[in-house]
Amino acid sequence: MNFTTRRRLGCFLFAATAGLAWVLDFSLRVRLRRVELLTGLTLMVVILLLTLFNARKKLPFLPLLRASTWMQIHIYVGLFSCVLFGLHTGWRIPRGAFEFALALLFYLVSASGVVGLAISRWLPSRLTVQGENVIFERIPALRAAVRREVEEMVVESVAKSQSSTIADFYEARLRNYFSRQRFLVYHLVGYGKPRHELLSEAQSLDRYLNADERGILGRIVEKIQAKDDLDLQAARQGLLKGWLFVHIPLTYSMILMALVHGILGWKLS
Amino acid sequence: MSDSSQIVKRPQRWDVPFWSELENPEPLTPGVVDRWLELPIFRGMEASRFPLNNSPRDILANDGRLRRFKAGDIIVRQGDYGHSAFIVLSGSAQVILDNLGDLVRGREDSSRKGWLGALAQLWRNPKLPEVRNLGDRRPERPEEHTDFIDKDAAGIFVQDINVIIKGKRTVDLPAGELFGEIAALSRTARTSTVIAGSDSEMLEIRWQGLRDIRLHAPEFKEYVDRLYRDHSLLSHLRETAMFRHLDDATLKRVAAATEFLTFGNFEWYATYSKMRETSGAERIQKEPVIAQEGHYPNGVYLVRSGFARLSETYNNGERTVSYLGRGQIYGFAEVAMNWKDKTELPFQRTLRAVGYADVLFVPTSVLEAEVLPRLPTAELPRKRLAAAGLGGVRDMKIRPEMMEFMVERRFINGTATMIIDMDRCTRCDDCVRACASTHNNNPRFLRHGPIADGFMIANACMHCQDPVCMIGCPTGAIHRDSAHGLVVINDRTCIGCATCANSCPYDNIQMVTARSPDGRPFYDRATNQPIQKAAKCDLCSNQITGPACANACPHDALVRMDMRDVDHLGSWLNRQ
Repeated sequence: MNFTTRRRLGCFLFAATAGLAWVLDFSLRVRLRRVELLTGLTLMVVILLLTLFNARKKLPFLPLLRASTWMQIHIYVGLFSCVLFGLHTGWRIPRGAFEFALALLFYLVSASGVVGLAISRWLPSRLTVQGENVIFERIPALRAAVRREVEEMVVESVAKSQSSTIADFYEARLRNYFSRQRFLVYHLVGYGKPRHELLSEAQSLDRYLNADERGILGRIVEKIQAKDDLDLQAARQGLLKGWLFVHIPLTYSMILMALVHGILGWKLS
Repeated sequence: MSDSSQIVKRPQRWDVPFWSELENPEPLTPGVVDRWLELPIFRGMEASRFPLNNSPRDILANDGRLRRFKAGDIIVRQGDYGHSAFIVLSGSAQVILDNLGDLVRGREDSSRKGWLGALAQLWRNPKLPEVRNLGDRRPERPEEHTDFIDKDAAGIFVQDINVIIKGKRTVDLPAGELFGEIAALSRTARTSTVIAGSDSEMLEIRWQGLRDIRLHAPEFKEYVDRLYRDHSLLSHLRETAMFRHLDDATLKRVAAATEFLTFGNFEWYATYSKMRETSGAERIQKEPVIAQEGHYPNGVYLVRSGFARLSETYNNGERTVSYLGRGQIYGFAEVAMNWKDKTELPFQRTLRAVGYADVLFVPTSVLEAEVLPRLPTAELPRKRLAAAGLGGVRDMKIRPEMMEFMVERRFINGTATMIIDMDRCTRCDDCVRACASTHNNNPRFLRHGPIADGFMIANACMHCQDPVCMIGCPTGAIHRDSAHGLVVINDRTCIGCATCANSCPYDNIQMVTARSPDGRPFYDRATNQPIQKAAKCDLCSNQITGPACANACPHDALVRMDMRDVDHLGSWLNRQ
């Protein structure tokens, strides 16, 4: 099955199930039945089903369907859970403090899921075409190596030319740049102005240098670009990995609160 | 190194003699080996040509074993991957020329874990990397070391074998004859099933022994090579669709006229790294031309082993349009059309050996006299279809830059190449974690590798059609699993020489340091050097899930692809 067919099938199943749930909810409500318990229990089961995806990831040695199948189920069942949540709350924001906090958690979990899905589809192709594809965990070591090389170049420039022009520039503008991740937000949104400015600044030194220094400056400029590419990879790969650190803890907090909410609702009903 | 339990003896080439891998091992006595050396096949060998530490006696004592079969026992099965050849000592063997299909296949895969065994990995996997239990003891009593036992050597019993082979074409091999050399020498599957014609004794030699004897005994080499050509030629022609209408006599006439040609270098991996440094245009010019676009089609070429590139002239260069592997044919459409329509269509493409290629050349005159008149009209190319079949770049499912990349880097060699769609891969490393979980917490591939057209060919063993990593292995530790043809490493017999890792053109084998369960490396008692082992992807052959990496990818970004299936590859690359 190609992606387009799969997407259409998923959307159709989601729409059909959501429509069915809405019709059922409506028909029970017009008969003055209390549907909160039914929608609440169903929602709880659906949320637990969604969390099983993470458990599946921990058991790759068991034949429990492909992770990509689980992912599709997770996406469409996740969307369905939003519909169920709406039916359960009557499409209103709850007023009580506890219920409001629980609803807020649900909104945050859902929003982080949607954002995570969007960046998982949007960022990878941009990562592929910008800079070398490096393994995330290796980036600090590669960054340190780049910095060492640049420092050696700076020392070489002083030794060769007896001039501190490049060394001064390094102290003033590059030491901080090479020492850690820079321009995080710019890299996340894909705005290249800081890189462009730094490169222009470095290249403008050219007129003050002799031939040896110019050669060294050229190599330093290459390293500025390499470091920026590493920062870009770190920022975007970090985002691709990091959103789960929001989505998953929020999910578990929400499940705990939902259990308390369920028990309270059952006791008080 | 304070703990002496970590100091062990480094495994050696002679540690695990071939006979000791049998379930009921029968140690070889010097008298037995001496009798083998008297066989006509070995008689002409001069011991002085062999190195002192690798004499013919040493080789046979280490790489030979005596096998006994009852009449009807299956000795080798068509389709299995073998790593040894046999010499009939007494009795006879019967080669079954026809395909027996699945009747004698279906060996139980006993090495695969069950559900409980799979689940137990959750708590049994060591926390530290590359943990092993290495002992000093070699398998003097192999029954205590089941890892050494060659499960493939356990007899294969099939009920009513005589009924199964009734009506099939067979050839009897009397005492003194050699068989099984095709699979042993060319790293391919057995081409025929062979059964014991009567109660028999066979000398089985593993391929490392064959290789060493061939290296130092020219007469033996000449004999084995001649046999290899004769046997492989007939078996290949028999497997080829366009010859299936021929009777035995005609097929033999075709075989007699067929030339066995080799292009390129069998040990192509030796020059692979240097080749990668040259430009694409230079590379293609260095590849030996098998047949040239625009030339008169003087015959058809059947690829027997290796690979060939199909290219066409494009402005001032050559554009790769496809590649051919074992069993594929070049030039048939042109020859058949010329015969049918009395035209003079030249070859439409150039055929070049990529690395090396063994090809069979069947001349046009033989095809016109023996083959084409017997082919049903439906199997002859129609005029318009012929032009389309010969194709243009419009028909290609794979974009030209991707095709060039795969052919030039020789990724077409893979039967389970790991391809990652970088436009879908979120770099989550779920694939790497799944691999580690199924391999004692040691990932067996790197999510890293060359990228072309948005697709990465990751550093994971491709389980090549032509696994050159196996060529130099002194102990046979790296071998093909007989049932599935996967290239796997026997960790117990690996001596850590790194020959396979150095031979792998794709850098897909890593050398790792073996550690004790408390995390300290093992050291060799004699040299004080750490004990190394070769490690690589085994395609999760012992897992119930199949390849964990592909199953674990939530974004459908990773696939293990058989590169022989160009249509499937093209479909996957163009998914939408």
